[in-house]
Amino acid sequence: MSVSTKVSQPDNIAAALNTLSTDDEALCLSGGATLVAMLNANLVDPSTLVSLKNIPELSGLKQNSDGSIEIGAMSRHAMSAASELLVGSNRGIRDAASKIANPTVRNMGTMGGSISFSDPGADYPPALVAADAEIEILSASGSRRVAASDFFVDWYETALKPGEIVRAIHLPAADPDAIGFHEKFARVEGDFATVSVNVVLALDELNCRMIRIAIGACGPTPVRDIDVEATLIGNPLDEATLIAAGEQLARACDPMDDMRGSAEYRLNLVPQLVARAALRARDLLKLGVAS
Amino acid sequence: MSNKQPLSFTVNGDVAETLISGGETLLTVLRDHLHLTGTKRGCNQGVCGACTVIVDGKPVRSCLSMAALSEGSEVATVEGLSENNVPSNIQQAFADNGAVQCGFCTAGVLVTVTAFLAENADPTTEDVRHALSGNLCRCSGYKKIIDAVMAAVMTQAAEASA
Repeated sequence: MSVSTKVSQPDNIAAALNTLSTDDEALCLSGGATLVAMLNANLVDPSTLVSLKNIPELSGLKQNSDGSIEIGAMSRHAMSAASELLVGSNRGIRDAASKIANPTVRNMGTMGGSISFSDPGADYPPALVAADAEIEILSASGSRRVAASDFFVDWYETALKPGEIVRAIHLPAADPDAIGFHEKFARVEGDFATVSVNVVLALDELNCRMIRIAIGACGPTPVRDIDVEATLIGNPLDEATLIAAGEQLARACDPMDDMRGSAEYRLNLVPQLVARAALRARDLLKLGVAS
Repeated sequence: MSNKQPLSFTVNGDVAETLISGGETLLTVLRDHLHLTGTKRGCNQGVCGACTVIVDGKPVRSCLSMAALSEGSEVATVEGLSENNVPSNIQQAFADNGAVQCGFCTAGVLVTVTAFLAENADPTTEDVRHALSGNLCRCSGYKKIIDAVMAAVMTQAAEASA
Protein backbone atom coordinates (compact mmCIF):
# COMPACT_ATOMS: atom_id res chain seq x y z
CA MET A 1 0.00 0.00 0.00
CA SER A 2 0.95 3.57 -0.43
CA VAL A 3 3.11 5.13 2.26
CA SER A 4 1.06 8.29 1.90
CA THR A 5 -2.20 6.73 3.09
CA LYS A 6 -3.52 8.61 6.11
CA VAL A 7 -5.79 7.23 8.79
CA SER A 8 -8.39 9.56 10.24
CA GLN A 9 -10.37 8.63 13.33
CA PRO A 10 -13.41 10.90 13.55
CA ASP A 11 -15.62 10.59 16.63
CA ASN A 12 -18.82 11.65 14.89
CA ILE A 13 -20.62 10.73 11.68
CA ALA A 14 -20.69 14.28 10.28
CA ALA A 15 -16.90 14.48 10.30
CA ALA A 16 -16.59 11.05 8.65
CA LEU A 17 -19.12 11.95 5.93
CA ASN A 18 -17.42 15.27 5.35
CA THR A 19 -14.10 13.59 4.57
CA LEU A 20 -15.78 10.97 2.40
CA SER A 21 -17.72 13.60 0.43
CA THR A 22 -14.76 15.93 -0.16
CA ASP A 23 -12.04 13.37 -0.93
CA ASP A 24 -12.78 10.98 -3.82
CA GLU A 25 -9.84 8.80 -2.87
CA ALA A 26 -10.92 8.28 0.75
CA LEU A 27 -12.41 4.97 1.88
CA CYS A 28 -14.15 4.19 5.12
CA LEU A 29 -12.64 1.47 7.29
CA SER A 30 -14.81 -0.61 9.58
CA GLY A 31 -13.42 -3.89 10.94
CA GLY A 32 -10.68 -4.26 8.34
CA ALA A 33 -11.43 -7.90 7.61
CA THR A 34 -11.89 -7.16 3.92
CA LEU A 35 -10.46 -3.72 3.25
CA VAL A 36 -7.09 -4.23 4.94
CA ALA A 37 -6.71 -7.54 3.12
CA MET A 38 -7.27 -5.59 -0.12
CA LEU A 39 -4.73 -2.96 0.95
CA ASN A 40 -2.21 -5.72 1.66
CA ALA A 41 -2.81 -7.13 -1.81
CA ASN A 42 -2.37 -3.65 -3.37
CA LEU A 43 -5.86 -3.78 -4.83
CA VAL A 44 -6.83 -0.37 -3.43
CA ASP A 45 -4.75 2.72 -2.69
CA PRO A 46 -6.84 5.18 -0.71
CA SER A 47 -5.62 8.66 0.19
CA THR A 48 -7.32 8.39 3.56
CA LEU A 49 -8.82 5.58 5.59
CA VAL A 50 -11.70 7.01 7.58
CA SER A 51 -11.97 4.72 10.59
CA LEU A 52 -15.54 4.35 11.85
CA LYS A 53 -14.40 2.69 15.08
CA ASN A 54 -14.88 5.71 17.36
CA ILE A 55 -18.38 6.68 16.21
CA PRO A 56 -20.86 5.54 18.88
CA GLU A 57 -23.99 5.81 16.69
CA LEU A 58 -22.66 3.07 14.43
CA SER A 59 -22.22 0.39 17.07
CA GLY A 60 -24.47 -2.06 18.83
CA LEU A 61 -27.81 -3.79 18.42
CA LYS A 62 -30.98 -2.41 19.94
CA GLN A 63 -34.70 -3.05 19.95
CA ASN A 64 -37.06 -0.13 19.30
CA SER A 65 -40.36 0.30 21.15
CA ASP A 66 -42.29 -1.16 18.18
CA GLY A 67 -40.18 -4.31 18.39
CA SER A 68 -38.11 -3.56 15.30
CA ILE A 69 -34.38 -4.17 15.56
CA GLU A 70 -31.55 -1.86 14.63
CA ILE A 71 -28.07 -3.25 14.05
CA GLY A 72 -25.35 -0.59 13.93
CA ALA A 73 -23.10 -0.95 10.89
CA MET A 74 -20.02 -1.40 13.11
CA SER A 75 -21.51 -4.31 15.05
CA ARG A 76 -18.99 -7.14 14.97
CA HIS A 77 -20.02 -10.58 13.72
CA ALA A 78 -19.32 -11.99 17.21
CA MET A 79 -21.78 -9.50 18.69
CA SER A 80 -24.53 -10.40 16.21
CA ALA A 81 -23.80 -14.13 16.62
CA ALA A 82 -24.43 -13.82 20.37
CA SER A 83 -27.31 -11.34 20.32
CA GLU A 84 -30.46 -12.32 22.18
CA LEU A 85 -32.34 -9.73 20.13
CA LEU A 86 -32.00 -11.80 16.96
CA VAL A 87 -34.70 -14.37 17.61
CA GLY A 88 -37.71 -15.87 15.83
CA SER A 89 -37.93 -14.71 12.24
CA ASN A 90 -34.71 -12.68 12.76
CA ARG A 91 -32.71 -15.63 14.08
CA GLY A 92 -31.32 -16.43 10.62
CA ILE A 93 -29.07 -13.37 10.83
CA ARG A 94 -27.58 -14.52 14.13
CA ASP A 95 -27.10 -17.95 12.60
CA ALA A 96 -25.39 -16.46 9.53
CA ALA A 97 -23.10 -14.31 11.71
CA SER A 98 -22.02 -17.36 13.70
CA LYS A 99 -20.98 -19.15 10.49
CA ILE A 100 -18.70 -16.40 9.14
CA ALA A 101 -14.97 -17.16 9.06
CA ASN A 102 -13.63 -18.05 12.53
CA PRO A 103 -13.79 -16.69 16.10
CA THR A 104 -10.88 -14.28 15.61
CA VAL A 105 -12.21 -12.71 12.43
CA ARG A 106 -15.70 -12.55 13.98
CA ASN A 107 -14.17 -10.24 16.63
CA MET A 108 -13.05 -7.91 13.84
CA GLY A 109 -15.45 -7.93 10.89
CA THR A 110 -18.64 -5.88 10.90
CA MET A 111 -22.05 -6.24 9.30
CA GLY A 112 -21.83 -2.84 7.60
CA GLY A 113 -18.40 -3.60 6.21
CA SER A 114 -19.40 -7.02 4.97
CA ILE A 115 -22.52 -5.90 3.12
CA SER A 116 -20.79 -2.82 1.69
CA PHE A 117 -18.21 -5.09 0.06
CA SER A 118 -21.03 -7.38 -1.03
CA ASP A 119 -19.10 -10.53 -1.75
CA PRO A 120 -21.70 -12.85 -3.31
CA GLY A 121 -20.31 -15.72 -1.21
CA ALA A 122 -20.78 -13.82 2.05
CA ASP A 123 -23.38 -14.94 4.57
CA TYR A 124 -25.25 -11.73 5.37
CA PRO A 125 -26.70 -10.94 1.92
CA PRO A 126 -29.11 -13.92 1.78
CA ALA A 127 -29.81 -13.60 5.52
CA LEU A 128 -30.80 -9.94 5.21
CA VAL A 129 -32.92 -10.57 2.12
CA ALA A 130 -34.73 -13.46 3.83
CA ALA A 131 -35.28 -11.31 6.94
CA ASP A 132 -36.82 -8.47 4.88
CA ALA A 133 -34.17 -6.13 6.25
CA GLU A 134 -33.72 -2.51 5.25
CA ILE A 135 -30.36 -0.78 4.97
CA GLU A 136 -30.08 2.76 6.30
CA ILE A 137 -27.63 4.78 4.22
CA LEU A 138 -26.14 8.14 5.19
CA SER A 139 -24.34 10.80 3.20
CA ALA A 140 -23.44 14.42 3.80
CA SER A 141 -26.74 15.35 2.13
CA GLY A 142 -29.08 13.13 4.15
CA SER A 143 -30.25 9.61 4.77
CA ARG A 144 -32.29 7.03 2.89
CA ARG A 145 -33.45 3.47 3.39
CA VAL A 146 -33.16 0.69 0.84
CA ALA A 147 -34.65 -2.80 1.03
CA ALA A 148 -31.93 -5.44 1.30
CA SER A 149 -33.20 -6.96 -1.95
CA ASP A 150 -32.45 -3.63 -3.70
CA PHE A 151 -29.20 -2.94 -1.82
CA PHE A 152 -27.33 -5.79 -3.49
CA VAL A 153 -27.11 -4.69 -7.12
CA ASP A 154 -24.50 -6.77 -8.94
CA TRP A 155 -21.20 -8.61 -8.41
CA TYR A 156 -19.49 -6.64 -5.61
CA GLU A 157 -21.81 -3.73 -6.31
CA THR A 158 -24.33 -2.20 -3.92
CA ALA A 159 -26.75 0.71 -3.93
CA LEU A 160 -24.12 2.79 -2.09
CA LYS A 161 -23.01 5.86 -4.03
CA PRO A 162 -19.71 7.67 -3.54
CA GLY A 163 -19.70 9.49 -0.21
CA GLU A 164 -22.37 7.24 1.33
CA ILE A 165 -21.98 4.84 4.23
CA VAL A 166 -24.22 2.23 5.83
CA ARG A 167 -25.38 3.51 9.22
CA ALA A 168 -27.53 0.59 10.31
CA ILE A 169 -29.44 -2.50 9.28
CA HIS A 170 -33.11 -2.43 10.30
CA LEU A 171 -35.17 -5.56 10.86
CA PRO A 172 -38.94 -5.82 11.29
CA ALA A 173 -40.17 -6.90 14.71
CA ALA A 174 -39.55 -10.61 15.01
CA ASP A 175 -42.37 -13.06 14.48
CA PRO A 176 -41.75 -15.15 17.62
CA ASP A 177 -43.48 -18.19 16.11
CA ALA A 178 -41.20 -18.22 13.09
CA ILE A 179 -37.56 -19.24 12.85
CA GLY A 180 -34.66 -18.18 10.67
CA PHE A 181 -31.98 -20.70 9.75
CA HIS A 182 -28.77 -20.34 7.73
CA GLU A 183 -27.57 -23.43 5.89
CA LYS A 184 -24.03 -22.97 4.64
CA PHE A 185 -22.12 -25.33 2.40
CA ALA A 186 -18.40 -24.49 2.27
CA ARG A 187 -15.20 -26.35 1.46
CA VAL A 188 -13.96 -25.95 5.02
CA GLU A 189 -15.44 -24.34 8.11
CA GLY A 190 -15.17 -20.57 7.84
CA ASP A 191 -14.66 -20.31 4.09
CA PHE A 192 -17.00 -18.24 1.95
CA ALA A 193 -20.02 -20.29 0.97
CA THR A 194 -20.06 -22.46 -2.12
CA VAL A 195 -23.83 -22.11 -1.73
CA SER A 196 -25.80 -20.84 1.24
CA VAL A 197 -29.54 -20.93 1.85
CA ASN A 198 -31.24 -18.73 4.40
CA VAL A 199 -34.78 -19.74 5.31
CA VAL A 200 -37.37 -17.99 7.47
CA LEU A 201 -40.22 -20.37 8.27
CA ALA A 202 -43.45 -20.48 10.27
CA LEU A 203 -45.79 -23.45 10.57
CA ASP A 204 -49.53 -23.79 11.07
CA GLU A 205 -49.76 -27.19 12.71
CA LEU A 206 -47.70 -29.22 10.24
CA ASN A 207 -48.29 -27.03 7.22
CA CYS A 208 -46.20 -24.13 6.05
CA ARG A 209 -47.75 -20.81 7.15
CA MET A 210 -44.95 -18.54 5.88
CA ILE A 211 -41.64 -19.15 4.19
CA ARG A 212 -38.95 -16.92 2.74
CA ILE A 213 -35.95 -18.49 1.02
CA ALA A 214 -32.86 -16.59 -0.13
CA ILE A 215 -29.93 -18.28 -1.84
CA GLY A 216 -26.38 -16.95 -1.60
CA ALA A 217 -23.28 -17.49 -3.77
CA CYS A 218 -25.37 -18.47 -6.81
CA GLY A 219 -25.21 -15.28 -8.79
CA PRO A 220 -24.33 -11.63 -8.31
CA THR A 221 -26.99 -11.05 -5.63
CA PRO A 222 -29.13 -13.21 -3.35
CA VAL A 223 -31.81 -15.14 -5.21
CA ARG A 224 -35.40 -15.11 -3.96
CA ASP A 225 -38.58 -16.10 -5.81
CA ILE A 226 -41.86 -15.31 -4.09
CA ASP A 227 -43.83 -17.39 -6.60
CA VAL A 228 -41.92 -20.48 -5.51
CA GLU A 229 -42.48 -19.59 -1.87
CA ALA A 230 -46.23 -19.19 -2.56
CA THR A 231 -46.46 -22.78 -3.80
CA LEU A 232 -45.30 -24.01 -0.40
CA ILE A 233 -47.78 -22.03 1.72
CA GLY A 234 -50.50 -24.23 3.22
CA ASN A 235 -48.69 -27.42 2.32
CA PRO A 236 -46.76 -29.91 4.44
CA LEU A 237 -43.00 -29.53 4.06
CA ASP A 238 -41.75 -32.94 3.03
CA GLU A 239 -38.42 -33.50 1.34
CA ALA A 240 -39.82 -34.15 -2.14
CA THR A 241 -41.87 -30.93 -2.11
CA LEU A 242 -38.87 -28.92 -0.95
CA ILE A 243 -36.51 -30.42 -3.52
CA ALA A 244 -39.02 -29.57 -6.24
CA ALA A 245 -39.17 -26.00 -4.93
CA GLY A 246 -35.36 -25.93 -4.80
CA GLU A 247 -35.20 -27.03 -8.43
CA GLN A 248 -37.47 -24.12 -9.33
CA LEU A 249 -35.20 -21.77 -7.39
CA ALA A 250 -32.10 -23.16 -9.09
CA ARG A 251 -33.59 -21.99 -12.41
CA ALA A 252 -33.48 -18.42 -11.08
CA CYS A 253 -29.81 -18.78 -10.07
CA ASP A 254 -26.92 -17.64 -12.23
CA PRO A 255 -23.72 -18.87 -10.58
CA MET A 256 -20.19 -18.67 -11.96
CA ASP A 257 -17.42 -21.25 -11.96
CA ASP A 258 -14.78 -20.47 -9.36
CA MET A 259 -12.38 -22.27 -7.05
CA ARG A 260 -15.22 -23.04 -4.63
CA GLY A 261 -17.19 -24.99 -7.22
CA SER A 262 -18.40 -25.01 -10.79
CA ALA A 263 -21.68 -23.36 -11.71
CA GLU A 264 -23.13 -26.79 -12.48
CA TYR A 265 -22.08 -28.15 -9.09
CA ARG A 266 -23.68 -25.18 -7.35
CA LEU A 267 -26.95 -25.63 -9.24
CA ASN A 268 -27.00 -29.25 -8.11
CA LEU A 269 -26.47 -28.18 -4.51
CA VAL A 270 -29.35 -25.70 -4.46
CA PRO A 271 -32.32 -28.11 -4.21
CA GLN A 272 -30.54 -30.27 -1.62
CA LEU A 273 -29.63 -27.29 0.54
CA VAL A 274 -33.08 -25.70 0.24
CA ALA A 275 -34.59 -28.95 1.52
CA ARG A 276 -32.00 -29.32 4.26
CA ALA A 277 -32.42 -25.72 5.43
CA ALA A 278 -36.22 -25.86 5.53
CA LEU A 279 -36.31 -29.27 7.24
CA ARG A 280 -33.81 -28.16 9.87
CA ALA A 281 -35.81 -24.98 10.44
CA ARG A 282 -38.96 -27.09 10.78
CA ASP A 283 -37.27 -29.42 13.26
CA LEU A 284 -35.99 -26.49 15.32
CA LEU A 285 -39.50 -25.03 15.40
CA LYS A 286 -40.88 -28.33 16.65
CA LEU A 287 -38.21 -28.39 19.34
CA GLY A 288 -39.30 -24.90 20.34
CA VAL A 289 -35.94 -23.24 19.81
CA ALA A 290 -37.22 -20.29 17.78
CA SER A 291 -35.80 -18.03 20.45
CA MET B 1 9.63 12.01 6.71
CA SER B 2 6.72 14.34 7.21
CA ASN B 3 4.16 11.57 6.71
CA LYS B 4 5.25 9.61 9.76
CA GLN B 5 3.16 9.75 12.87
CA PRO B 6 3.97 8.66 16.41
CA LEU B 7 2.38 5.49 17.80
CA SER B 8 2.42 4.49 21.44
CA PHE B 9 0.95 1.29 22.82
CA THR B 10 1.76 -1.50 25.26
CA VAL B 11 3.32 -4.75 24.07
CA ASN B 12 3.62 -7.62 26.53
CA GLY B 13 3.46 -5.15 29.40
CA ASP B 14 6.07 -2.71 28.09
CA VAL B 15 5.36 0.64 26.47
CA ALA B 16 6.38 0.68 22.81
CA GLU B 17 6.81 3.90 20.85
CA THR B 18 7.60 4.21 17.18
CA LEU B 19 6.96 6.33 14.10
CA ILE B 20 4.64 4.78 11.52
CA SER B 21 3.21 5.50 8.10
CA GLY B 22 -0.57 5.72 8.02
CA GLY B 23 -0.90 2.62 5.88
CA GLU B 24 1.08 0.27 8.09
CA THR B 25 -0.48 -2.71 9.82
CA LEU B 26 0.08 -3.80 13.40
CA LEU B 27 1.89 -6.85 12.03
CA THR B 28 4.47 -4.67 10.26
CA VAL B 29 5.00 -2.59 13.39
CA LEU B 30 5.47 -5.67 15.58
CA ARG B 31 7.88 -7.40 13.22
CA ASP B 32 9.74 -4.62 11.43
CA HIS B 33 9.74 -1.81 14.00
CA LEU B 34 9.82 -3.71 17.29
CA HIS B 35 11.58 -6.84 15.96
CA LEU B 36 9.05 -9.12 17.65
CA THR B 37 9.34 -11.68 14.87
CA GLY B 38 7.57 -14.48 16.72
CA THR B 39 4.37 -13.22 15.11
CA LYS B 40 4.41 -14.52 11.56
CA ARG B 41 3.26 -13.07 8.26
CA GLY B 42 1.59 -15.92 6.41
CA CYS B 43 -1.11 -15.01 3.93
CA ASN B 44 -1.37 -11.30 4.87
CA GLN B 45 -5.09 -11.72 4.08
CA GLY B 46 -6.50 -12.73 7.45
CA VAL B 47 -7.04 -16.34 6.44
CA CYS B 48 -4.14 -18.34 7.90
CA GLY B 49 -4.04 -17.13 11.51
CA ALA B 50 -0.23 -17.08 11.81
CA CYS B 51 -0.26 -13.36 12.71
CA THR B 52 -2.82 -13.65 15.53
CA VAL B 53 -2.11 -11.45 18.56
CA ILE B 54 -4.25 -10.40 21.51
CA VAL B 55 -5.40 -6.77 21.50
CA ASP B 56 -7.19 -5.53 24.61
CA GLY B 57 -8.00 -9.09 25.60
CA LYS B 58 -9.32 -10.35 22.26
CA PRO B 59 -7.50 -12.31 19.58
CA VAL B 60 -7.22 -10.37 16.31
CA ARG B 61 -5.39 -10.69 13.02
CA SER B 62 -2.49 -8.25 13.24
CA CYS B 63 -2.21 -8.27 9.42
CA LEU B 64 -5.76 -6.87 9.18
CA SER B 65 -5.30 -4.29 11.96
CA MET B 66 -4.18 -0.81 10.99
CA ALA B 67 -1.35 0.17 13.32
CA ALA B 68 -2.69 3.70 13.75
CA LEU B 69 -5.79 2.28 15.41
CA SER B 70 -3.67 0.47 18.02
CA GLU B 71 -2.78 3.74 19.80
CA GLY B 72 -3.13 3.14 23.54
CA SER B 73 -3.97 -0.56 23.13
CA GLU B 74 -2.59 -3.43 25.15
CA VAL B 75 -1.11 -6.00 22.79
CA ALA B 76 0.12 -9.47 23.75
CA THR B 77 2.24 -11.52 21.35
CA VAL B 78 3.75 -15.00 21.55
CA GLU B 79 6.87 -13.44 23.11
CA GLY B 80 4.77 -12.47 26.13
CA LEU B 81 3.31 -15.89 26.88
CA SER B 82 6.22 -17.17 28.99
CA GLU B 83 7.17 -15.65 32.32
CA ASN B 84 10.87 -15.29 33.23
CA ASN B 85 11.72 -17.77 30.48
CA VAL B 86 9.37 -20.36 31.97
CA PRO B 87 6.97 -21.54 29.27
CA SER B 88 3.25 -21.23 29.93
CA ASN B 89 1.25 -24.42 30.52
CA ILE B 90 0.09 -24.24 26.93
CA GLN B 91 3.61 -23.81 25.55
CA GLN B 92 4.87 -26.68 27.71
CA ALA B 93 2.02 -28.92 26.53
CA PHE B 94 2.90 -28.14 22.89
CA ALA B 95 6.52 -29.18 23.54
CA ASP B 96 5.51 -32.31 25.46
CA ASN B 97 3.03 -33.43 22.80
CA GLY B 98 5.19 -32.74 19.75
CA ALA B 99 2.57 -30.25 18.56
CA VAL B 100 5.14 -28.27 16.57
CA GLN B 101 6.32 -29.39 13.16
CA CYS B 102 7.73 -26.62 10.98
CA GLY B 103 6.61 -24.13 13.60
CA PHE B 104 5.30 -21.43 11.28
CA CYS B 105 1.71 -21.59 12.53
CA THR B 106 2.71 -22.19 16.15
CA ALA B 107 2.83 -18.59 17.38
CA GLY B 108 -0.66 -17.87 16.06
CA VAL B 109 -1.98 -21.13 17.46
CA LEU B 110 -0.48 -20.52 20.91
CA VAL B 111 -1.89 -17.00 21.05
CA THR B 112 -5.34 -18.13 19.88
CA VAL B 113 -5.40 -20.96 22.42
CA THR B 114 -4.22 -18.65 25.22
CA ALA B 115 -7.09 -16.23 24.53
CA PHE B 116 -9.57 -19.10 24.15
CA LEU B 117 -8.66 -20.92 27.38
CA ALA B 118 -8.77 -17.65 29.31
CA GLU B 119 -12.50 -17.59 28.60
CA ASN B 120 -13.22 -21.33 28.41
CA ALA B 121 -11.59 -23.26 31.23
CA ASP B 122 -13.28 -26.58 30.47
CA PRO B 123 -13.68 -26.96 26.69
CA THR B 124 -14.50 -30.12 24.78
CA THR B 125 -12.30 -31.28 21.93
CA GLU B 126 -15.00 -30.01 19.59
CA ASP B 127 -14.87 -26.55 21.21
CA VAL B 128 -11.09 -26.48 20.70
CA ARG B 129 -11.45 -27.45 17.05
CA HIS B 130 -13.88 -24.58 16.50
CA ALA B 131 -11.61 -22.16 18.38
CA LEU B 132 -8.70 -23.15 16.13
CA SER B 133 -10.70 -23.27 12.90
CA GLY B 134 -9.02 -20.04 11.79
CA ASN B 135 -5.45 -21.28 12.31
CA LEU B 136 -4.06 -23.23 9.39
CA CYS B 137 -1.25 -25.75 9.90
CA ARG B 138 0.08 -26.74 6.49
CA CYS B 139 2.06 -29.59 8.04
CA SER B 140 -1.48 -30.76 8.92
CA GLY B 141 -0.38 -31.51 12.47
CA TYR B 142 -3.80 -30.80 13.91
CA LYS B 143 -4.13 -34.00 15.93
CA LYS B 144 -1.13 -33.22 18.11
CA ILE B 145 -2.16 -29.57 18.42
CA ILE B 146 -5.58 -30.60 19.75
CA ASP B 147 -3.95 -33.20 22.04
CA ALA B 148 -1.63 -30.52 23.42
CA VAL B 149 -4.48 -28.10 24.08
CA MET B 150 -6.46 -30.78 25.93
CA ALA B 151 -3.33 -31.62 27.96
CA ALA B 152 -2.96 -27.94 28.85
CA VAL B 153 -6.60 -27.88 29.94
CA MET B 154 -5.90 -30.83 32.28
CA THR B 155 -2.83 -29.10 33.72
CA GLN B 156 -4.75 -25.87 34.28
CA ALA B 157 -7.62 -27.72 35.93
CA ALA B 158 -5.19 -29.58 38.21
CA GLU B 159 -3.50 -26.31 39.17
CA ALA B 160 -6.83 -24.61 39.77
CA SER B 161 -7.98 -27.36 42.15
CA ALA B 162 -4.60 -27.70 43.91
